[in-house]
Amino acid sequence: MTTTDTAIVQARPQSARMENWGRAFYRFRQSWLSIVGLAIVLLLIVVAILSPYIVPHPEHLQGVTNTAARFQPPTAGAWFGTNELGQDIFSLVLVGSRISLFSGMAVVFIAIVVGTTVGAIAGYFGGWLDEILMRLTDLLLTIPSLILAMAVAAALGTGVFNMIIAIAITWWPAYARLVRGEVIGKKEEQFVVAARALGANATRILCRHILPNIVSPIVVKASLDTGFAILTVASLGFVGIGVKPPTPEWGTLLSGARSYMPDYWWTAVAPGTAIFLAVLAFNLLGDGLRDVLDPKARR
Amino acid sequence: MVRFILRRLVLLVPVLIGLTLLLFVVARLLPGDPVGLAAGPNASAETIAQLREQFGFDQSIPLQYWTYLTGLVQGDWGTSVFTRRPVFADILEFLPATLELVFAALFLAIVIGIPLGLLGAVYRNRFPDYTTRILALGGIAMPRFFLGLLLQMAFAAWLGWLPLSGRYPFIEIPPETVTGFYTIDALIAGDWYAFQVAFAHLALPAIAMALSPLATIMRMMRASTIEVLQQDYVMTERALGLSSRLILFKYVLKNAMTSTLTVIGLYVSWLLGGTVLVETVFDWPGLGLYATQAILTQDFMPVIGVTLVIAIIYLLTMLVVDLLYGVFNPKVRYA
Amino acid sequence: MALLDIQNLQLAMRSYEGETQILHGIDLTIERGEIWGMVGETGSGKSLTGLSVSRLIPSPPGRYLAGTIDFAGKDLLKASDRDMRALRGRHIGMIFQDPTTNLNPVFRIGTQLVDVALHAGHNDPSILGLSKDASRGAMKKAARKTAIEMLDKVGIPNASARIDDYPHQFSGGMRQRVLIAMAMVGKPDLLIADEPTTALDVSVQAQILRLIHDLVAERNIGVLLITHNLGVVAQICTHVAVMYRGRILESGPVRDVLKHPTHVYTQALLDSVPTVHTKRGELRGLSGLSQEASA
Repeated sequence: MTTTDTAIVQARPQSARMENWGRAFYRFRQSWLSIVGLAIVLLLIVVAILSPYIVPHPEHLQGVTNTAARFQPPTAGAWFGTNELGQDIFSLVLVGSRISLFSGMAVVFIAIVVGTTVGAIAGYFGGWLDEILMRLTDLLLTIPSLILAMAVAAALGTGVFNMIIAIAITWWPAYARLVRGEVIGKKEEQFVVAARALGANATRILCRHILPNIVSPIVVKASLDTGFAILTVASLGFVGIGVKPPTPEWGTLLSGARSYMPDYWWTAVAPGTAIFLAVLAFNLLGDGLRDVLDPKARR
Repeated sequence: MVRFILRRLVLLVPVLIGLTLLLFVVARLLPGDPVGLAAGPNASAETIAQLREQFGFDQSIPLQYWTYLTGLVQGDWGTSVFTRRPVFADILEFLPATLELVFAALFLAIVIGIPLGLLGAVYRNRFPDYTTRILALGGIAMPRFFLGLLLQMAFAAWLGWLPLSGRYPFIEIPPETVTGFYTIDALIAGDWYAFQVAFAHLALPAIAMALSPLATIMRMMRASTIEVLQQDYVMTERALGLSSRLILFKYVLKNAMTSTLTVIGLYVSWLLGGTVLVETVFDWPGLGLYATQAILTQDFMPVIGVTLVIAIIYLLTMLVVDLLYGVFNPKVRYA
Repeated sequence: MALLDIQNLQLAMRSYEGETQILHGIDLTIERGEIWGMVGETGSGKSLTGLSVSRLIPSPPGRYLAGTIDFAGKDLLKASDRDMRALRGRHIGMIFQDPTTNLNPVFRIGTQLVDVALHAGHNDPSILGLSKDASRGAMKKAARKTAIEMLDKVGIPNASARIDDYPHQFSGGMRQRVLIAMAMVGKPDLLIADEPTTALDVSVQAQILRLIHDLVAERNIGVLLITHNLGVVAQICTHVAVMYRGRILESGPVRDVLKHPTHVYTQALLDSVPTVHTKRGELRGLSGLSQEASA
């Protein structure tokens, strides 16, 4: 019922993929909450990188104390107040962001690498390999993750690196599941069949064809997860496993502050709010990315 | 239906066996010597060897595993090197406290989260929706332990309305054990005072645990309800004159429940495994504290035991969730 | 007095591009016993006209610029929400296109039927065969009985057992019958059917049309049958209105319009229907676009 004129197909100035990302970016800008999330995340990263050089009291980080000024409430001199050793909490929290933030990101990174490998292999090859890998993944998912992370971290000994490994062990199964599902979905599509017909081997098909197409859900999950990974890092610190004082980490700072509640409330409020802010920011960012990248999740 | 339940229960067994194997292997692979720690720094080599034999650690690992596995079914879950008591007895002592906390938190999360989610969907993009969405975002991001501290500060220290910590005052006698839940047992015994005391102690920890699942349940409910409201059958129901209230609370609610049900099931595992953070803040004598102490002393039998218990409860919960799917969606009912 | 009298109905809808006028002055009068077909392309505004009668178009996006919809003496455009709800199900019944998506899948069909019957009987228990001060229990029982009778009437075999079945246990044609039962259980005076047979195959289509025809004959109701299928119109409609881009181009008794169309568009529609004699490659379409806003 429409006219039969043929319209002229406009030549596209960019490749289709670039145009897609451009359009996605535009949609992202529409939601101001997502922009706020992105801004805070960037701010946190910058702070984490630069913190030892920009804090007002770097000497406190080395363990220098100033007992004359213990438990000062927030003032112009010390924005978040001072703790039981007279150290400036603002400096401590800022430097604490290094461990909390980077540990969280490291956990997610390792989880992605391991999970994607396992999931891709399981999804692509199927059969008994899939069965075994998925049974293992499911078993790991049945174990409560916090307890497992604590147990492994405690057994491996104190230290940031051990803690990251411990938490990452509990995080990769979810990514394996996600990637496996996506790979199974993409496996039967025409372009994969075509690649196989042209003689591409499994590695090439996976790396060059399938994986670039399933980046979106992984990116969304990763950004949401980073917040929760930071939360888990702080949780372990709070319980006293993994990172030990005097290394400043938001969880350990909060744990130390417990004994001085409620009179010296600022010792706890500062690190706690930092954790909250970080998790919130990554959640906002992740939500924004999901609205943009996942067509099904239209609000 | 009975056949379905039986089938699922039977399938649970290989999963649990696999789990015990995995846990045992991981526990033995990790560095750490609980016996050495328990014996103390001044113990002689003989004492340590004796202790080791007492706990069966001198046997070969496969033999240890077999002993453990056969012991499990008979109720012997090993002995805690730290408390020197059977793990099973320890778990039985601490489990009710944790379960009560988890139930209370889940109850709060469901009872508040579902109606708020509905509200948000109905008043979409208007004031009630925005407030619930902000609550949801804040709720997910707030760490349980920080919230617990804040609640303690506000309600116990400054306002003095609720007790600071603990499950029941030391000087009082808790109600007689029927279920292990102080609140329910008090009601069963008709002891109103005991109920009030138990409830007051339960309130703050439960709220601290409940906020995150509440937020997610609310979001999920909102999203499903919005989706359901756009369905054709809702238009038909409206066209034939059914009231908005009837449509929402009888019809749409049931349609939207399935995805929310999944979320609830997944949160059970999160809640059970994460009680330690709130138990630490409130000195709540539960499984979390027990497991943490075992972890810190590298006492792995209790750790395996606690993990097993939580895994069993989680798997049973998922079974219940799957059954409930059949209630909410007749198409997936099992013959 | 006419059952339904639409005069100069003008409707505008808001979308991303701004507000567009969809209906440009619809005039339509339906008497009892008449089956009015409303035929036109997708996007011509037929469904929106049907939805307007029941005031089912929500007020942001939709806005009525002018016109009246008279139903049994009342102007529906000025009626309150409460009054509209009282009319829906009880005096005006509606069925929609896809029987699969129009029944709530997690509820038994009986539940949905009984609720509609209860709603209709709420203000007027006589339709359930009860007096004004009947108890709730009596109402429920009577509603269920009426529902079973209605299912029987629309041709569902073994109605008293099947009333407790779920929609997925019925075939497509039976589901549409159930929907017709739901629309008719309140004993309405007007039935609006929006493409009731489009999702069904031809043999089932004939049965559904026969059912509608019998209901009209038996209860002397008026029917507004929205469709894009001229064959359906020719089969059971007594009158027809041809719509194009929000206007009625031609209307009148079916025989007159179809045999002696006065408007070019109507003729073109008729010509585009393939017949037994149409040769390959001879299909004729219509040029000219419907308006961008969809119905």
